Amino acid sequence: MLYERIKGGLRLAAIDAAAGQAGLSVGQNLADARAMVPGLTVREIDRQLLEAIFADFADWHSNASPLVAVMTDASAFGDLVLDITGVAHLFGGERAMLRMLLTRLRDLGYAVSGAIAPTIGGAWAVSHFARSQVVEPADLEAILDALPVHALRLTEQQIAGLVQMGLKTLGQLRLRPRKPLQARFGATLLLRLDQAYGIVEERMTPRLPVAERYAERRFVDPIGLMDDVLLTAHDLAIQLGIRLEAEGLGGQAFHLFLYCVDHRVMTFSVNSSRLTRDPEHITKLFSNRSERLEGEYNAGFGIDMIRLAVSSLGELDAVQLGAFATYDGTEDLDQLQDRISSRLGTMAVLRTQFVSSHIPERAARLVPAVAHVAAEQASARPELVRPLRLLPVPEPIAINAEVPDGLPASMIWRRVSYRLTKASGPERLGAEWWRTGQRLQLVPPEKPKKPEPGEKQEPPPYVPDLVLFNPDAGTRDYYMAEDAEGRRFWIYRQGLYSETSWYLHGFFA
Amino acid sequence: MASPDHQQRIAALRDTIADIERKPALAEARALVENETTGFALPKGGLLQEVFTDERRHAGAALGFALAQARSLLNRQRPAVIYLQLLKDSQEVGLPYGPGLLSFGFDPGALVLVRAASMAELLWAVEEAVACRAVAAVVADIAGHQKILDFTASRRLSLRAASAGSSIFLLRYGTWREASAAHLRWRLTPMLSVRKRFDPLAPGAPRWRAQLEKGALFKQTEWLLGWSKNGFTTLDAGRRHANSVAAAPPFPLALPANMANRLPETA
Repeated sequence: MLYERIKGGLRLAAIDAAAGQAGLSVGQNLADARAMVPGLTVREIDRQLLEAIFADFADWHSNASPLVAVMTDASAFGDLVLDITGVAHLFGGERAMLRMLLTRLRDLGYAVSGAIAPTIGGAWAVSHFARSQVVEPADLEAILDALPVHALRLTEQQIAGLVQMGLKTLGQLRLRPRKPLQARFGATLLLRLDQAYGIVEERMTPRLPVAERYAERRFVDPIGLMDDVLLTAHDLAIQLGIRLEAEGLGGQAFHLFLYCVDHRVMTFSVNSSRLTRDPEHITKLFSNRSERLEGEYNAGFGIDMIRLAVSSLGELDAVQLGAFATYDGTEDLDQLQDRISSRLGTMAVLRTQFVSSHIPERAARLVPAVAHVAAEQASARPELVRPLRLLPVPEPIAINAEVPDGLPASMIWRRVSYRLTKASGPERLGAEWWRTGQRLQLVPPEKPKKPEPGEKQEPPPYVPDLVLFNPDAGTRDYYMAEDAEGRRFWIYRQGLYSETSWYLHGFFA
Repeated sequence: MASPDHQQRIAALRDTIADIERKPALAEARALVENETTGFALPKGGLLQEVFTDERRHAGAALGFALAQARSLLNRQRPAVIYLQLLKDSQEVGLPYGPGLLSFGFDPGALVLVRAASMAELLWAVEEAVACRAVAAVVADIAGHQKILDFTASRRLSLRAASAGSSIFLLRYGTWREASAAHLRWRLTPMLSVRKRFDPLAPGAPRWRAQLEKGALFKQTEWLLGWSKNGFTTLDAGRRHANSVAAAPPFPLALPANMANRLPETA
């Protein structure tokens, strides 16, 4: 028995069969329930935990069909939907498949009901409010018409309203004119109704990446060691590679699904920067990935099935090595980047991308090398004098100049003082006012007039709180300075006139 | 007493053994320098080089020296240089900056940055990168003393570099030296820059003093090097060079008093 705190009151959120027989119901006040059944065992519901467990549980069902989703319309957990298009024959027909899935869960001690229907809404309605069955497309209307209006995944207010109107079954509801219904109950009612009857198509979002090609292996005895998993992954990669080669395809994303005995699925994904089907490369990426595990690998009682799936497919024709082809190293380089980023993480391998901006830290940004740097780069400007190294965050320094606003003569940085003998500058970089997010004050707001005697004071018209763009705010003056020992720094002064502060931004060679 | 023939064979075998043992360290390395003139000749690939500077604030000079050498190793077959750094060092010594590379004369597109979280991962990535035949050079920026980077680790790296043919540059900061199997060890000191034409107050092209502390590649062990976009220039500190760049005074002129005339237009 689980309870939940709703609007300050403790109400029952879930009950078991014995409690149902005792006359308790979901939504009842906990105090009432305690009065009805003394000695009630209750615990507070932990929805996040339940959601996480149910999501794992849902993933496990991908051994029946690749498209598995958790329905979150009625509740964040508890409803599982499988798209079994083209799958049922593997289990000996729809009826046998449903029986297999349900008995499998009943054997585990769960109370389940299920239905196979042409529409998602219809299957939900039948599974919740009728016996578990397979609904043929021809029978759908007849079966749904007999079901109560609760079977439409509606809110409590909507159901209460429908019951008040005397509409008890879907058949009655369907015959009513639609416009008044929409006016009274909103568009969701009609949408749910249409979805259940298949007039409007409903889509599901599969939890796991949709694999277009995969290879899998089942084990008689569960395995648990990572090395065994990687060996299997290698075998599967070879199988998959042969199939992809026959079709002239290559993939960029590879996923390893490990199905555990205790109904969990562990998923590991690696990405390749170019299309590949090379089993050695794929295995290498997975073994690098396995070096970086942080507790997500837990074989538990063992793994009884491994599936290697590939997505992001593209055409990859067989290449013949030509005797006169010049080797340019890009393929090796891409593979190297894949290997390093599979172990250190995607954000660890970076390339420079130029952005058209004159603010130094914005002019170049580091992007993951795996995501191919876009061809349309902003053109770099080699005539600018820029430092070889840039500090990610400029550091404040103290500067003295011989004359006010003159070239800097000495500097204190990290508590060490430097005597600057040479300097050039300033190079003035203004703020990019079009990026500040501040609106320009185009029209000054009207001042409120004094109310004349006898006249009611009108509220002043709404004027957005406009902030004047301050052109001094972000202006920087950059200097290149060299100290007496030959160290060359890039320093800047932030702001103009009185309120200025100095920062060190980079080092020259 | 063995026969002369016997002695000759033993001597030959000794030579062979010595050759095998010293192969990556010295015997091959000597052949890797293009010409042994008195000037600064660029070493070819396949060497583990340590570039020591005394302090971390010399990081710019160290990176410049390494990239200047790495640039000469780039070619069509080896189009990339890998730069590695620990995550925590970025704020300490800065990250290579694309526009700066461009103004230095290095193609930013050829540089791949790798930011590792730990030293073990960084060394793994160095080994992985140097084994790749598309990599011209690996530049590893290692600030501070690292216990894991011991003689064994550097020996591994030197063998990898020698067999793969791409160079490794370890940028180190400090005055201490530890046992390492590096082929070359440089001590690099930034020097006052070249005098800029028309503006004696402005810093010009960089200059470094490079001292070779380890490795018998050259006859000379100390250079005063200048850098321009076209490559290294050797500035012999001892004698005056015909080169006009070398003719610049080693110390800057005193600041002229009329600095105020620069102000109104520029400041």
